[in-house]
Amino acid sequence: MTAGTTTEAAETTPAREAGTHPGRRDESRAPWVRPLVALIVTALFAVPLYLVVVNVFKPGGHITGSPASIPWPPTLDNLKATLDRPDNLYWDGLINSVEITAVSIVVLAILSAMLGHYLARTRSRFARVMLLVLLAGLMVPPQVILVPVVRILRLTHLMTTLTGMVAFNVGYYIPFGVFVFAGFIRSIPIELEEAAALDGAGRWRTFWIVIFPLLRPATASVLIFLGVWIWNDFLDPLIILGPVGGTTVTVGVYRALGEHQSNYGQLFGLMFLAALPVVIFYFLLQKHFVKGLTGGAVKG
Amino acid sequence: MTSMQGSLRGSSQGSRQSTKNRRSNLGYFLGFGAPGLFFYACFVFAPLVLSLGYSFTNADAFAPHTKFTGLHNYVKLLGDPDFRMEVRVTTILTLIIVIVPNVAGLAIAVLLNRQGRLYRALRTVFFVPVVLSSVVVSVVWQAMLTDGGLLDTVLGSMGVKHPPGWLSDPSIALYSVGSIASWQLLGFCTVVYLAGLQGVPDELLEAAAIDGAGKWTRFRRVTWPMLAPALTINTVMLLITGFKTYDYVQVITHGGPGTGTTATVAYGVIQTGFTENKTGMASAMAVVMLIIVAVVSSVALRLLQRREVEL
Repeated sequence: MTAGTTTEAAETTPAREAGTHPGRRDESRAPWVRPLVALIVTALFAVPLYLVVVNVFKPGGHITGSPASIPWPPTLDNLKATLDRPDNLYWDGLINSVEITAVSIVVLAILSAMLGHYLARTRSRFARVMLLVLLAGLMVPPQVILVPVVRILRLTHLMTTLTGMVAFNVGYYIPFGVFVFAGFIRSIPIELEEAAALDGAGRWRTFWIVIFPLLRPATASVLIFLGVWIWNDFLDPLIILGPVGGTTVTVGVYRALGEHQSNYGQLFGLMFLAALPVVIFYFLLQKHFVKGLTGGAVKG
Repeated sequence: MTSMQGSLRGSSQGSRQSTKNRRSNLGYFLGFGAPGLFFYACFVFAPLVLSLGYSFTNADAFAPHTKFTGLHNYVKLLGDPDFRMEVRVTTILTLIIVIVPNVAGLAIAVLLNRQGRLYRALRTVFFVPVVLSSVVVSVVWQAMLTDGGLLDTVLGSMGVKHPPGWLSDPSIALYSVGSIASWQLLGFCTVVYLAGLQGVPDELLEAAAIDGAGKWTRFRRVTWPMLAPALTINTVMLLITGFKTYDYVQVITHGGPGTGTTATVAYGVIQTGFTENKTGMASAMAVVMLIIVAVVSSVALRLLQRREVEL
C-alpha cells in the first residue's frame, strides 16, 4: 500500500510542475493577477502589525502625527523606557510569565501523556466515561468556573500565588493534552507494549522508555499550543494572581493601558516586548504549528 | 484483533492472575490516571458542580447568610433586561465570529493555495495574529480605531472630515469588536482550509475540468464537499470562541459605549461575580452560558459531521 501511494505521488508531482493543474491553465493567461491580489490582500491584513512595528521605533510625539510613516531615524527610546520602568513591570511580568508557562506546560505534558495513556489503553466503562467527562472540559469557558475556582484557591491558600496559577492551568488545560495524546497513543500498536512487558519491563518503564519517545509529535503539539495559550492568557492570571500576586507580561500590557492613553510609543514598546517571545517561537516552529492544527483537517 | 484482545482478557479472568491483575490495574490508575484527573477534578469539575450549587442560592461576598433560593436567580435572569441585552450582544458577536473568519479564511486559503516562497511567506503573515494575545490585538486595534486614532488620522489625510466613531458610536462599536475578533481568528481558518485544499486530489479536479466543469462548478461540486472536515473544525472552534468573547470587551470597550452595547454574557458573569460580588447570580449566568455553549456546539458538531459522512 505504501509503495502504491509513493508512485502516485511521484506521478502527480511532474504533472503539477508541467501546469496541467486545471487552476493553472486558467492562470496562464494572466499569471501576475494571483500574486498581485495576494500581495495586496496580505498588505491590507498586515496594516495593524506594521503600525506596531514602525511605531515602536518612533519617538512618542511623532506617532499620532504620522502613524504610517517609516521610522527614520529609528529610536530605541520606547524599548529602553519599557525595560527601565521604575515599577519593573516588564521584567517582573516576564519572569512570572516564563515561570508559569514553563512549569505549566512541562507538568501538563507529563500528566496528560500518562492520563491519555491510561484512558486510551483501559477498556473499562469507567475509563470511557472519564474520557467523555474530560473532553467535555474542552468547551468549558473559564468564566463559568472562575468564581468557585477562586474560592477553592483561597481555601487552599494558593490564591495570588504562582503555584495556584500553575495548578489551575494544569487542571484547565489537561483536556486538550489528553485529547491530543489519547488519539496519538491509539495509533501506536499495543503489541509494542506487550513485547516490552514480556521482556520484563514494568508499566512505568515501558511507558517512559518505549512509549513516551514515540509520542514526540504529540508532545510537540501539546507544548507549543499550550505554551502559546498560557503565555497569552489574560483573564485567568488577571483574577488568580490579582494585583497582589504580580502580573504576567500579557496582563502587564493591560495594566499599562491606563497610564499610556496618549503615549502609544511606550505602550507599543511594552506590547512589542511582551509579544516578541511568542512571535519568535512561532517563526522558529511554524511547521509544528501547522501540523498540530491540521492533524484532523485532511480526510485520509 | 478485537477478538484476540477479547480472548486475552477472557483467559485472565477467573484465574489466579485476576487478583494480581486487578491490583496492577489499580496501580496503573493511581500512577497514570489519578494525578491528571485530580487537577481536572479540583479546577474544572468541582467548580462546575459548585457553580451549579451557588446558582440556587443568594450567595454574596458581602451578605453574611447564604440561603437556598431555588430557581429565584434563573427567574430573575429571564426578566432582566441587562441579561437579555448580553445574550443579544453575544449572539450577534458569535454570528459575526462564526461567519466572517470562515468565509474570509476560505477565500484567502483559495487565493494562497499555490506552491512557492511568496505564498509560503504570505501564509505566515496571516497566522501571526493567531499567536498574539488578544490583549495585544485589542490594544493595537484600540489605538487604530479610537476617536482621532491612527485610522482617523489616515482617513483625515485622505480628506475624510468626519469619520464614524468606530468605538464610541453605540450602533457601530459591537461590529468593530466583531471585526477585531475576526481579524485575529481568520488565520486559524486559513491554515485549516489550506490543509483541506491540499487534500483535494488534482486528478479529481482535472477529471471535472475534462468533463467541462467551469471554475465555480469545480469548486462547488469537488473542492467544497471535500473541505467538510475543515469546515467542521473551524465552525466549532469559532462557535466556542465566539460565545466566550471577553478579552476584547474588557480591554477595549468595558461593555460600552452607552450601557451594555458590547457587554457579552462572559463579561457580565465576571462583572457580576467579581465586581459586584454576587456569587449566586453570577453562577446562574454561568450555568445558562454553559448550557447554551454545550447545546449549540454539540448540535453544530452533529450536523456538520453528518454532512461529512454523506460525502
